[in-house]
Amino acid sequence: MTLSQLVLRSLKKNITHYYLYFFALIFSVTLYFSFVTLQFNPSVSDMTEGSTTGAAGFKAASAMLLFIVTFFVIYANHLFMKRRSKEIGLYQLIGMSKTTVVRLLSLENILLWVGATTIGVGIGFLTSRVFAMILLKLISKEALVEISFSSQAFVQTMVVFLALLVLITVQTIFVIRRSTLLDLFLASKKGDTRVKRIGPFQMLLGLVGVILISFGYYKSTHLFDLDSDSVTLNLLIIKMITILASTIIGTFFVFRFSVSFIMNVIRKGKKGHLSLNDVLALTPIMHRMKGNAKSLTLITIMTAIALAIMSLSYISYYSAGSSAKQFVPFDIISLNGQNKMFEEHLKKQNINYEKYEFSLLKVDIDTSGLLEKPLADSIKENMVLGSIVTRLSDMQKIHPKVTLKEGEAYLVGNSGMLAELLPLEVGKSMTVHTKEDKTKLTMVGLEKEWIISSQLTYGSPAVIVTDKFFDKLVTDTKIKKNSIWYKQEGYSFEENDLKKAQEIYEKTTNGGTFTTKDAKGKERKFFASTQEGKKNDSLELWGNVIFATGFLGLAFLLATGSILYFKQMSDAEDERESYTVLRKIGFTKSEIMKGIYIKQAFNFGVPLLIGLLHSYFAVKSGWMLFGSELTTPLIVTMSIYALLYSVFAWLSVMYYRKVVNESL
Amino acid sequence: MAILKARKVKKVYGRKLTAQEVLKGIDIEVNEGEFVGIMGPSGSGKTTLLNVLCSIDHATEGVIEIDGNDLRKMKEKELSRFRREQLGFIFQDYNLLDTLTVKENILLPLSISKVSKAEAESRFNTLTDLLDIRELANKYPNEISGGQKQRTSAARALISNPSIVFGDEPTGALDSKSATVLLENLVTINEKRRVTIMMVTHDPVAASFCSRVLFLKDGQLYTELYKGDKNRKTFFQEIMNTQGVLGGDGYDA
Repeated sequence: MTLSQLVLRSLKKNITHYYLYFFALIFSVTLYFSFVTLQFNPSVSDMTEGSTTGAAGFKAASAMLLFIVTFFVIYANHLFMKRRSKEIGLYQLIGMSKTTVVRLLSLENILLWVGATTIGVGIGFLTSRVFAMILLKLISKEALVEISFSSQAFVQTMVVFLALLVLITVQTIFVIRRSTLLDLFLASKKGDTRVKRIGPFQMLLGLVGVILISFGYYKSTHLFDLDSDSVTLNLLIIKMITILASTIIGTFFVFRFSVSFIMNVIRKGKKGHLSLNDVLALTPIMHRMKGNAKSLTLITIMTAIALAIMSLSYISYYSAGSSAKQFVPFDIISLNGQNKMFEEHLKKQNINYEKYEFSLLKVDIDTSGLLEKPLADSIKENMVLGSIVTRLSDMQKIHPKVTLKEGEAYLVGNSGMLAELLPLEVGKSMTVHTKEDKTKLTMVGLEKEWIISSQLTYGSPAVIVTDKFFDKLVTDTKIKKNSIWYKQEGYSFEENDLKKAQEIYEKTTNGGTFTTKDAKGKERKFFASTQEGKKNDSLELWGNVIFATGFLGLAFLLATGSILYFKQMSDAEDERESYTVLRKIGFTKSEIMKGIYIKQAFNFGVPLLIGLLHSYFAVKSGWMLFGSELTTPLIVTMSIYALLYSVFAWLSVMYYRKVVNESL
Repeated sequence: MAILKARKVKKVYGRKLTAQEVLKGIDIEVNEGEFVGIMGPSGSGKTTLLNVLCSIDHATEGVIEIDGNDLRKMKEKELSRFRREQLGFIFQDYNLLDTLTVKENILLPLSISKVSKAEAESRFNTLTDLLDIRELANKYPNEISGGQKQRTSAARALISNPSIVFGDEPTGALDSKSATVLLENLVTINEKRRVTIMMVTHDPVAASFCSRVLFLKDGQLYTELYKGDKNRKTFFQEIMNTQGVLGGDGYDA
């Protein structure tokens, strides 16, 4: 029998082992090829070219994707080799040299890769259309995308996977060179080191794991606290690294020590009287933990990263509407009364509108007193900022119920990044600096919604004061001089007039550009936009990003899910004997399956749960930099992820069912 | 009283052209309290017979009754339950679960039964004293010797107070000393507790511990020997002689 005959026969015979590896390969090629196809597609790149972030996002995503695919393929090959180690050992036992075995395996690999890349490219070509449609939907553009077979993408995919094949071959050579015959026969037994008693030191490490994670979580909720004197970027990075390190190490310790420890306590308490579920779930998990800890940690961290990235970008996407409302609190705004032409045109076209006018002043106010937590002294000095002040009577047109006494103030627009980072408290007071004196105002109310554009207030809330106090401030010459934007007009329209009004606005205000002169006589410009325009801008920007991250998330999900699934497949094979024993002794299939459900719920559930928790804290610590809505996008992302992830759990249960069925 | 009755048991592997008849109509009756050995050359169908009798495998034809229960009339679930409650098993390769301690392994068959903890504990104590493995309770299988493993396996087979215990080459993987200890234990259990035991073996020494030995050849019952009042040595000689008649070839000893 020649080598190639042997290869073909073993391919045929081993199809059950191969199909897993084969699918892993196909899936990698599919994902990579469809992504690269999109990247090179002219209509897609035209769309993304407009926004530099889009193009950069795509590039970063494809690099990341390459990383995941590489990692995944290496892992799959590793598992695959381990499962076949006996066969490889047998070849050597009957006198095949290591070189011949390598040749044999490489030949197999080449055959598999050729098949996988062909199928993968085919599927990838089809799926890239689906992905393109999703992308367009996300950036809410209605265009037809013609997806043609991109030879550029094809070549890139081929080059990448050829390089990966070389890598895999090197891995194979390395493993075979290094291993002795004995190793090969024992390889499938490695990893799940059997049965060691759990000492107090391990218990301690288990506890350390929990503490490390809690510490990381705690630190993450205080990531942006301005508690120390120097808030520098370096400090922030150090903080972030501390958090990451302590959570990752903590996760490993939890898997490696805490889980076995807790289970051991439960088990000890049973004094030998285990239930069948304990036998099927508790004890195997406990004994495999040592070998599985690393991969479970990896899976948890990957889940957390994928979820955090996806959640953050979805938060940005989801917040497009509310972010637009911050920038443009009304359907349309204009400044300093530069709206004559606009209003004339509206009248000509008989468009009704409601108009709200706000007189504005820029006043130096020390708002540090309002903070929930006092600031360090060194930062306090810089807290006298030019705040935007408006009249109570202007505000009452929108919120008629708000009333103020002398010496009181009301804040509007307390949401978004600043509100999250520096929370304010009602009842505290701020100091207004005028030329002659300082006046204390008590803050009696906080409103989340914006009525003055955040572009004017630099993201901080606008201050509402009584008309009397406002009139007093107007007389201050310095304030008068500083207040270059002295008026904001907000328009709202009926739903069906909105489109026309927006068109008129674009024409009559030069696309929403307003000009004024600052104190030194220099011209200053303000680029407003319609609320919808703002919203579409960010949808387009974040649509690209969410698509790229969503794609990455999918890759992460598939990689982690498959790794877990592969791992469970070999676990199931290892435990086949136990199931035989149990069934011989007289336990039914359904009784055994019940225990396996519990085991799989643990094997898949715990990494998911810890991953979800990790990502929750990661997202919570920095979400305000990305958008203004947290709960809904977070829940949506997490549920979708969990749902897709559980498909793999289901697959593994199906595999176990097969093994149990065959075991007697 | 007959605890196990088998009538015209046939077992065919494969289909039609490739069909191979392993058991060609076997009749067996085992009385309560008997210690029966099954011997025969390799390929004679002894293990198949045992598997069929103990409901792990299905007979192609024939009737098997254990304690009045017709195995053919029972569904898969009922069979499992029946095995768990009425039968005990000792296998050549111990079949202990590596992840469980000796005690946990022994108590395994009771894990979903309604036997109270106190009762289970007392059975455990009696059996482990009898088999001299009490102090191994918290050890794992990989920490104990083959003989100890097999005695653990025997304790597991007996914990549910089965009406009959099946052994498939229980001494096959043991050295002669451990094998003797195990067999003596089995005899004690058989005599003191009136437990019916049926075991397949190729070892004449092991068979000489039985009260009756059945010889199988080519899927058919060839002959049987009763120990009666004879001592073990004489019985052993008889077994050897029968083996000689049966044909010296093909013994997988």
